[in-house]
Amino acid sequence: MRGFLLGLANGTICLAYCVPVIVPYLLGEGQTVKRNYLELGQFLIGRLLGYIIFAVLAWVFGLMILKQNSAGTREVFFGTAYILLAGLLFFYCFKKPKNLCAAEYCKGLLSGHNRLFLPFGLGLLTGLNLCPPFLLAFTSAVAGGSLWSSLFFFLAFFLGTSLFFVPIPLVGFLKRNQMLRSIGKMATGIIGIYYFYMGVLIVIGGIKQ
Amino acid sequence: MSNPETAIRDIYGRTLATRKPWQTLCIVLPMVLLSFMILNRGITIQSDPLQLISLVITYLFINLLFVLMVHSGKIDRYRAILFVTYAVCFVISFIPHLMETRGSNTFTSADILQGKIPFCHIVVPMTLIPAVLKRTIIFPGSMLEGFASIASMLVLWMGVTLALGKGFCSWGCFYGGLEDGFSRLARKPLLKKINPKWRNLSFAVLLGVVLTSIATLSPTYCTWLCPFKTVTEFEKVSSVLVLVQTIIFVTLFLGLVVVLPLLTKKRTQCSFLCPFGAMQSLTNKINAFEIRIDKDKCTQCKVCIGICPTFSIDEDDLEQGKANLTCTKCAKCISHCPRQAISMEIKGVDTLCNEREKVFSGRTLIFLYPAFILLMTMGGGMIRDAIHRILLLLTTGKLIQ
Repeated sequence: MRGFLLGLANGTICLAYCVPVIVPYLLGEGQTVKRNYLELGQFLIGRLLGYIIFAVLAWVFGLMILKQNSAGTREVFFGTAYILLAGLLFFYCFKKPKNLCAAEYCKGLLSGHNRLFLPFGLGLLTGLNLCPPFLLAFTSAVAGGSLWSSLFFFLAFFLGTSLFFVPIPLVGFLKRNQMLRSIGKMATGIIGIYYFYMGVLIVIGGIKQ
Repeated sequence: MSNPETAIRDIYGRTLATRKPWQTLCIVLPMVLLSFMILNRGITIQSDPLQLISLVITYLFINLLFVLMVHSGKIDRYRAILFVTYAVCFVISFIPHLMETRGSNTFTSADILQGKIPFCHIVVPMTLIPAVLKRTIIFPGSMLEGFASIASMLVLWMGVTLALGKGFCSWGCFYGGLEDGFSRLARKPLLKKINPKWRNLSFAVLLGVVLTSIATLSPTYCTWLCPFKTVTEFEKVSSVLVLVQTIIFVTLFLGLVVVLPLLTKKRTQCSFLCPFGAMQSLTNKINAFEIRIDKDKCTQCKVCIGICPTFSIDEDDLEQGKANLTCTKCAKCISHCPRQAISMEIKGVDTLCNEREKVFSGRTLIFLYPAFILLMTMGGGMIRDAIHRILLLLTTGKLIQ
């Protein structure tokens, strides 16, 4: 219950960290509201997996991961996650499914409705993000001690924050606007540049430490 | 009708109608009085001779342009002269002003913490959502005090948006004149074919900077992209991070404000990058004025498509009979249309039959008055201050007091 309430209390901040990734993506796709909910579901599953990874880390390493002596490794890890997220955003911005890869498998994976990995990957990499509410959740989960309590805490936190994402797929009402699709795709590239640069800076900072 | 011997001719050799002197006088008289009150800041007597000279020069210059605009109907030509002068004078006035108040036009982390950074209208789209969600202004400026306080700029923006919509970008923006000036230097564009999809880029930048500003609670456009820091103020280069940011904004300035406008004769920064312009485009939806194209008169010569500095008219717009939502209402298309098929109109009201003799319609005048008052109010102060500083430099050898 504590995790859920913490999620509810900090949902707007979590939303603020996730909307730069998910909103341009959904706009760029230009799908229906129903389809957007499916894509959001995939994004949230990815994000949940990111949280589970943190739950396990919280159980294995405890608060050690937040301590000063591990700051370098931590920054390299999160900086790399940012760079990967930027890579995925660039990939989405510039992808042309028809001629991206000659292999039939790749064509099938990247085109049509079989695009699970993209919103899932975006969700996962957004989940691996040390935003302020997440640090609070991490600290609280560590206090639980056991793996299960840590997992349940993050699951409840995830549910609490996810409620704030419910209105986002409504951008699907604008699906017929070709201009908005183009804007959404371009915006993913711009945000990709931003995350890439932030990631590089964080990694360099981590290596220096 | 004008005398054919003395009549003004346009670039196509057509004889243009001009107003009769008494008509021009009646139209400009209120502006002549109003501009005196605004430029003189009420009825005050200037004791400083340099201030008096700068006031007189500014007053005569602005009113002369308005008279010529009304008399000849060439709105864009005389607007551009004033708009470019305003932008240049803004730079001449702003940098010395910063040196007087802050000691330098570079700022430090301490200046940011103390909220000493002047607020500019481009920050508006980034501040609105965080202001609603967090009840905080994510800009290190002063709310009420100083040269450009946040409250004064927000009030100004709201008023101008209601009156002119995206007209702000051609009549009020103190940066726009720089690229407008560069875009007019070349006789012909060297780069003609630009994919119209790039017109969407400024909207993507708007979306990107608004979302990242919400996430980071900082004005990301100002930190990373704003090209006009090159000619105003910028952070003192004290780290690799700031160096990279400096390289980015100088490159964007040279590319989008200088080189591309020279090559394309378009306002490329306004069209491709400015998030404020993109937001103002949306406000055009609620603004009363629009540029309308009379489909019966239009011969599809496409002069307007080539001449529009912000890519606001294309073939689809000709079909629809109006400029698209990115129109800055600069009136360049009105001046250049060989068939006088383009006019400034009020939404929901039928197009007036433009007679050959008419310089421009009364509806254009309804737009022109508030637009010119904005340009005169914002530009007049800058021009006056810049002239004063130049006179100061000539007489004392110093730009700052």
